[in-house]
Amino acid sequence: MEEKLRIGVFVCNCGTNIGGFLDVPEVAEYSKTLPGVVYVKENLFTCSESGVNEIKEGIKNNNLNRVVVAACTPLTHEPTFRAACEEAGLNPYLFEFVNIREQCSWVHKNEREEATQKAKDLVRMGVARASKLEPKDRITAGVIPSALVIGGGISGLSAALSLANRGFKVKLIEKEKKLGGLVKSLYKIYPENINAEEYINQKINEVKKNKNINVFTSTEIKNVGGYIGNYKVKAENDKGNELNFDIGVIIVATGAKTLSPEGLFSYDGKKVIDMLQLEDKLKNDGISQYKNFVMILCAGSRNNERVYCSRICCMSAIKNALLIKEKNPESKIFILYRDLQAYGTTNEETLRRAKINGIRFVNYSLNKLPEVEDNTVRVYNEILGKELLIPADLIILATPLVAPEDNENLSKKLKVTLDENGFYLEAHIKLRPLDFSTNGIYVCGTAHWPASTEESTTQALGAAARSSIHLEKKYVMVEPIVSSVYYEDECRGCGLCASLCPSNAIEMVETPKGVKAKVIEVACRGCGICGASCYRHAIRMNHFSDEQIKAQIRAFLEE
Amino acid sequence: MLDAGRHPNIKIMAYSEVEDAKGEAGNFKVKIRKKARYVNENICNACGECIEKCPKKAPDSFDMGLRDRKAIYIYFAQGIPAVATIDKDVCTFFLKGRCKLCEKICKKGAIDYEQKDEIVELDVGAVVIATGLEMFDPSHLTQYGYKRLKNIITGLEYERLINATGPTGGHLLRPSDKKLAKKVAYIQCVGSRDLNNCNYCSSVCCMYAIKDAMLAREHDSESDSYIFHTDFRNVGKWFQKYERRGKDEYGINYIRGRVAEITEDEEQNPVVWYEDTIERKVKSLKVDMVVLSTAAKPSSDAEKLSKMFGYELDENGFVRKNLPYPSDTTVPGIFACGFSQGPMDIPESVAAASAAADRVMETLAGLKLKKRA
Amino acid sequence: MSEDVLVIGGGIAGIQASLDLAEMGKKVYLVEKKPSIGGIMAQLDKTFPTNDCSI
Repeated sequence: MEEKLRIGVFVCNCGTNIGGFLDVPEVAEYSKTLPGVVYVKENLFTCSESGVNEIKEGIKNNNLNRVVVAACTPLTHEPTFRAACEEAGLNPYLFEFVNIREQCSWVHKNEREEATQKAKDLVRMGVARASKLEPKDRITAGVIPSALVIGGGISGLSAALSLANRGFKVKLIEKEKKLGGLVKSLYKIYPENINAEEYINQKINEVKKNKNINVFTSTEIKNVGGYIGNYKVKAENDKGNELNFDIGVIIVATGAKTLSPEGLFSYDGKKVIDMLQLEDKLKNDGISQYKNFVMILCAGSRNNERVYCSRICCMSAIKNALLIKEKNPESKIFILYRDLQAYGTTNEETLRRAKINGIRFVNYSLNKLPEVEDNTVRVYNEILGKELLIPADLIILATPLVAPEDNENLSKKLKVTLDENGFYLEAHIKLRPLDFSTNGIYVCGTAHWPASTEESTTQALGAAARSSIHLEKKYVMVEPIVSSVYYEDECRGCGLCASLCPSNAIEMVETPKGVKAKVIEVACRGCGICGASCYRHAIRMNHFSDEQIKAQIRAFLEE
Repeated sequence: MLDAGRHPNIKIMAYSEVEDAKGEAGNFKVKIRKKARYVNENICNACGECIEKCPKKAPDSFDMGLRDRKAIYIYFAQGIPAVATIDKDVCTFFLKGRCKLCEKICKKGAIDYEQKDEIVELDVGAVVIATGLEMFDPSHLTQYGYKRLKNIITGLEYERLINATGPTGGHLLRPSDKKLAKKVAYIQCVGSRDLNNCNYCSSVCCMYAIKDAMLAREHDSESDSYIFHTDFRNVGKWFQKYERRGKDEYGINYIRGRVAEITEDEEQNPVVWYEDTIERKVKSLKVDMVVLSTAAKPSSDAEKLSKMFGYELDENGFVRKNLPYPSDTTVPGIFACGFSQGPMDIPESVAAASAAADRVMETLAGLKLKKRA
Repeated sequence: MSEDVLVIGGGIAGIQASLDLAEMGKKVYLVEKKPSIGGIMAQLDKTFPTNDCSI
């Protein structure tokens, strides 16, 4: 049955980039001697239009069933050459790329003979691998055109609205009785000083009015099954009713909470309060009886126990200090800080305004924390080299945002990772800040890291965009370079592969032969961890199978 | 970058500028000037043979002028599109009417001295402004001695020096004598938080100074770094941990205080004069090289574009972010993201870019619905 | 009405916006004044806080 190998080899000169440093005609001549090779062509530039046409004609005229190009890196031209194969009627996964530029001519510029020999070795290995290649089809699966948004704070509301306005169905789940999240507890939203309650209520009304959004409050996620495009989500409300949703994509917008100030700086909830209590007092005109205010920043953060900076506390303190001044110009406000995080344009502007308005800033260091005494705060100022005694009627602690304990639980259900502080961990800290490494799930707002209302909104809209890519496309397509439980009889269902898979692409299924691992191909990203860890060698990587790689290694050892 | 180059829905128009714009959301008419490269983009495959033979040199702007490139050049090796460009202001043929060596050498026939700037008219429904940043030029801040003293460089120049493909092959060789700089001072807030220059915090300099100092130590275990900062602003995910690692694992010295002046000794070693705020004394520190963590400004095109399209900028020249939609400009259908909106780091820029894309989609979907109704 | 989108600036933000829009099915024109896209990020050796090159 097996078709006879008819391999075509195309060797590129890349102008003089390859041809200038090694003997391309000799490599081409040598290729003709390799097993299965029936056609060899030398190109000046294989990637040029004429080069690509030469590949296509070579396939057609010589009935080639494998193509090897020895040129540059797959990063640049693999798609070009695969497309050429496809256009000539050859399955694109029967193409093999050999790099004789970056990995040969460019690094051996002064060793012509050795470089030529190495190029021959590389081509021989490529041909050996090509002879074991198998035709593959790209994998596609449908996407249910609806999104699940978990969390009904400013991030969740913003993401849900955006998706709904574009016509997608959204299920919005909030575990509390009411929507609104942290913003609901604020007096004004920085920096525009918008009335927080009015703002969030308006968003909530928009959400409630929107026909594409179903809101479920007092509801928690129980279980998440399935994969990108096709999640099966079970939730339960406070009445004990179970809800089932079929979902295409998921956005995590579960937010954060403030660290409890208990035990910090003589906190008593009366004279020493936290920032949320101050917001509440501002809302209810509860500050007129005080004259001397002291705010202590980094209360419970940037220390050894909690290393991180909560990003937003400096500016919310300054915002509130200015609002106090507005209500009561006679008040005296001291802000005790370590580094003032007034990053960017607006924050710096606000800081300057605070200074002009007579708000006093006193630096303290982690080595000598301020001490709260009766009606005074004692603080050592390094710049003055002196201890200051500041009169205080009301002391406000700026405690950091921390991750809710519930993250632990929910992250397990979603099979996504948390960072060491319990916030959700994104796929890539720079380039993919809103994605999880599992395709199909996204994160935004303070669930990811402390962020201002404006930053959370930006992230929420960004997450809406990222998730909607799949909703717009209506299908997911992946390259067939995925793992497969090829030797199923060998699998003993131990589940090691499933637990190690970073993409949640392996499920354990009951079969007549017992529990077996099964690859969810659309979710697999072909990293190979499962294959490497399977001690029964039951798992094989398509397109990088043991046979293919062994053939390559054997060919290397041949000469 | 590569993904953008490959995507069938993206047409990259590099070496091009917006010339004129009119219209409204759903219907903008934009004129783009595609500048002549004098190289046919469809033929050139960046093999580089012409560059090797080109006899004329000019300062390499990608490498901050720290080395020369040729008159025909590839902006940077991994750049997309991967094509050569002739710098007409330097090329011997354009200046003197002879040479044409590149044309003779190019076997593919990609050189085209007759190429003209091309005006392309686009009909688009929405526009995203992502013009990014430019680095502040500290030359006029004479106290820091940039350009006056030899061994004072900027943060972006440092990036090129420490880069393995850069002008010194990744070795931190100081400009005056090409000796390895072992003791380096980093000066923060150069131009930033400065009423006379950039009246804001550039947000990324504290972190990039730590990174620079870490890299110096990774390249040379004896390197010794001093970062002179005001407020140390490291607020992003893992930034505090990074700051601590800088001190604990890389031995970076963090010194709180603004530097008053930089002088030079007879061996051209910079001497940094500063106030030690802990001891409250004026002190000096002799180093091999100084890196100025310069402010980042809006792109020089920001103003021109804002006038062309009619949206407003803030007093610093950035597109102001406002709730409820931080990506929106004051003109419907035009959105902004990244540093054009004010200082932000890479993940913030990426998130803002996705948010802008979202607003484009929502706006176009809304317009389509309206049209149908 | 046109549904195509013009993105001005080929740095990391412009590239990301273009990719997202393109993936959502829009035709995107990405205009960059320099000879190639990449922006400032391409000039950086490594980037914080993970010290990888990331371009």
